[in-house]
Amino acid sequence: MSRNLAEACSVVIFGATGDLTHRKLIPALYNLAGDGELPAGVQILGFARRDWSDEFFREGLEKQNRKVSRTGHDDEIWECLAASIHYHQSEFQDEDGYRRLAERLDEIDRERGEKGNRLFYIASAPEFFDDILLNLKKAGLSQDRPDGEGCWSRVIVEKPFGTTLATAQHLNEVVNGTFQEKDTYRIDHYLGKETAQNIMVLRFANAIFEPMWNKEHIDHIQITCAEHLGMEGGRGGYYDKAGALRDMVQNHLLQLLSLVAMEPPTDLTADGVRDEKVKVIRSLRQWDTPELVAENVIRGQYLAGNINGEEVPGYCAEDRVNPESETEAYVALRCMVDTWRWSGVPFYVRMGKRLPKKATEISIHFKETPSVLFNAMPGGVPAGNVLVIRIQPDEGISLRMNSKLPGTTLRMEPVKMDFHYASSFGTSSPEAYERLLLDAMAGDATLFARRDEVEEAWRFIDNIENVWHESDNSPPMAEFPAGSWGPREADELLAKDGRTWRRL
Amino acid sequence: MSDVISTEGLGMPVEVGAIDGELKKLWEADEASTNASLMNFLVYTEDPKQLIKNSETIQKLTRANSCRAVLIAMDREAKKSSLQAWITAHCHLAHGKKSICAEQISFLLSGYSMGRLRNTVFAHLNSDLPLVFWWQGDFSDLFEERLYRLLDRLIFDSASWRDPKASFRRLVEAREETKGEIVTQDLSWTRSYFYRLAVARLFDDPKAQKSFPKLEEVKIKAHPDHRMAALLLLSWVITRSGWKVESGQGDEWTASSEEGNPITINLEWDEDAAPLAELLMSAPGCKVRISREKENLHLCQSVCVDGHCVDLSGPADSDDPEGLVASQLSRGGKNSLYLHVLPRFRELLEMGG
Repeated sequence: MSRNLAEACSVVIFGATGDLTHRKLIPALYNLAGDGELPAGVQILGFARRDWSDEFFREGLEKQNRKVSRTGHDDEIWECLAASIHYHQSEFQDEDGYRRLAERLDEIDRERGEKGNRLFYIASAPEFFDDILLNLKKAGLSQDRPDGEGCWSRVIVEKPFGTTLATAQHLNEVVNGTFQEKDTYRIDHYLGKETAQNIMVLRFANAIFEPMWNKEHIDHIQITCAEHLGMEGGRGGYYDKAGALRDMVQNHLLQLLSLVAMEPPTDLTADGVRDEKVKVIRSLRQWDTPELVAENVIRGQYLAGNINGEEVPGYCAEDRVNPESETEAYVALRCMVDTWRWSGVPFYVRMGKRLPKKATEISIHFKETPSVLFNAMPGGVPAGNVLVIRIQPDEGISLRMNSKLPGTTLRMEPVKMDFHYASSFGTSSPEAYERLLLDAMAGDATLFARRDEVEEAWRFIDNIENVWHESDNSPPMAEFPAGSWGPREADELLAKDGRTWRRL
Repeated sequence: MSDVISTEGLGMPVEVGAIDGELKKLWEADEASTNASLMNFLVYTEDPKQLIKNSETIQKLTRANSCRAVLIAMDREAKKSSLQAWITAHCHLAHGKKSICAEQISFLLSGYSMGRLRNTVFAHLNSDLPLVFWWQGDFSDLFEERLYRLLDRLIFDSASWRDPKASFRRLVEAREETKGEIVTQDLSWTRSYFYRLAVARLFDDPKAQKSFPKLEEVKIKAHPDHRMAALLLLSWVITRSGWKVESGQGDEWTASSEEGNPITINLEWDEDAAPLAELLMSAPGCKVRISREKENLHLCQSVCVDGHCVDLSGPADSDDPEGLVASQLSRGGKNSLYLHVLPRFRELLEMGG
């Protein structure tokens, strides 16, 4: 999909000393520069509390870029980029720090002869979101400059975008009180992944799929996000407050679900696409009673086990996790999208930590062939057709079908047609953040979540969270050994519908 | 166990966490080869010395069965817990031109740990392809529900079991727990495949068919290591004939036909014979004999009715496990006949056969 031209701007990153800046944002900007995609004149300004110099900041970024950059590290490209990287020290609550920031941005614009486009990236801890946004407004940084000719101010907000519907609504009020909705970019990096973008192409640019993309032909859909990591690197502190449902399902997985389930948009504009996505989320049947949650949602925690031959602790024994924690590190849901197209088709969504492998995949399970011919034979055909969209790590698409075994008798086995982005196109796909940063510079919000999408997703999640944490008869926490594919209860969730989780 | 075992021939040693990346590099480095895979083929043994032999077996099997092979050997006796891994590819020229390769990941697990086998399997499968699991030796406590629930096809050789009664019990439990979802393939059953075809073929003769209800005696001669194959063949004859086993002691049984005629059944053992050396079925005026000389690739088949004899020849089943596995893989199917025979077989086994 084409987009507007990305425009030169100053990118101000709040929380610049953090992991996201070092591991994702700067390497993304570096790769854009290396690919010649970064508009000339882009300036990067890191905003954080630590007392660092420009030089010290750049050194740390360079060190990390050497380790993680998708295209490797070229000193020449880095030198050019590094010259446009600056550091601005300030507390997030310090109004004066924002005034100084405004002065510094003006100075940079004057020096470079730029017109004053600003892209603010809020990558700090969520508790500072309000302060940052309000102080940007007070410093006059959130509005398009009256003296600028067609210049803009945009904000990218990292997840978590709220922790409940109420907090998300509050944050939206603050954001929309500071920036216009059209200038607000709520990032969901899953949407920047090549295969996530390819879902629309697969569905709407191939005549063979869309006619079958409905309840008549599809038996069910599975969305799996498996992580083999646990709470390493101190992430237990954040995770234990969030849990799998809030951390992954509310945003990434519901976004993927909406891309798979949405109706064809009227056009490819940001609102054209997002109008259809939000309808899907709004059509999710609500699980809002203990009975419905017990029937349709499984939560679980991993027990001690082993992964890659290493012994790993159980969730409650992880670093910075409450030993009495009631937070889920695994969740499996049966979602129903109450639309004409999807009536009666379950969407099974699961996410878990400490599962056997790292993979995010969507699988479309087609209905079986009629019970005549091969299906009428003893044992039937081996398996139904499955179309798999691999989001990460090995982005691609595969289709499982049945084939006759060579020989004089009629025996069938499933075979797989497989397409890998990396090997088919010979070049590595851009990282999600590369695409998304460029889109924000171009003013294209198609791959970002809109306010109503976020709030509708929270409405769905909140109902489940409320039953879990506020009901007297909340369903129990299931358990599973680390390194296995989740609790038995999750298998039973599908088994009662006569289905099984796809084996990854 | 715990002796130092040779791992030469397993390929490149790799960090377990880096296997996928290293396999990717392996394929990217060789553009002339095509990676083909129709299934996940997993071979598990609790005898680490088998690891090299299993790799050699995979080299042969992949000529006709493209797969991702995962070899796992567990040294349960080792005091120190560790996990080592190697990767390699087995390549064969297809039609003398293109090199078709199958990747192999080998693991040596040292030290006993309940979930490690299961998790190692889970983490290294090629998604959406069938999982064929060749379990070598008795079903130990590591043959557990979370593992076998995942299998599409379970291959084992009951001839190698030290305690067949216990392992068959475990197998039946597993099938019940999975509601019969696992296709089970016993290599001892495969050993009798061409014998069974031959019996059916010989009794296709209309005169022999007439004598079938009058059968009085069945004798099977086999190598003592292949007691299971002999019993399975016998169970098949009994089940298909609709006979009822009345009594039995040691290797002798008395059965009765549907018409109530008594039949004597006898198993004989010969250290120098082929795994299944002879099957003799006699009725008044009719004798059917199928036999195989040791290491011979063919079965001799003869049917004599009222003094007229016809001699035939046909292929014999492979003697080595990889040959049997290869023929199983080429046939596919649900193996429902084996399941049909299994209850009668277990009955004979429990009776002391």
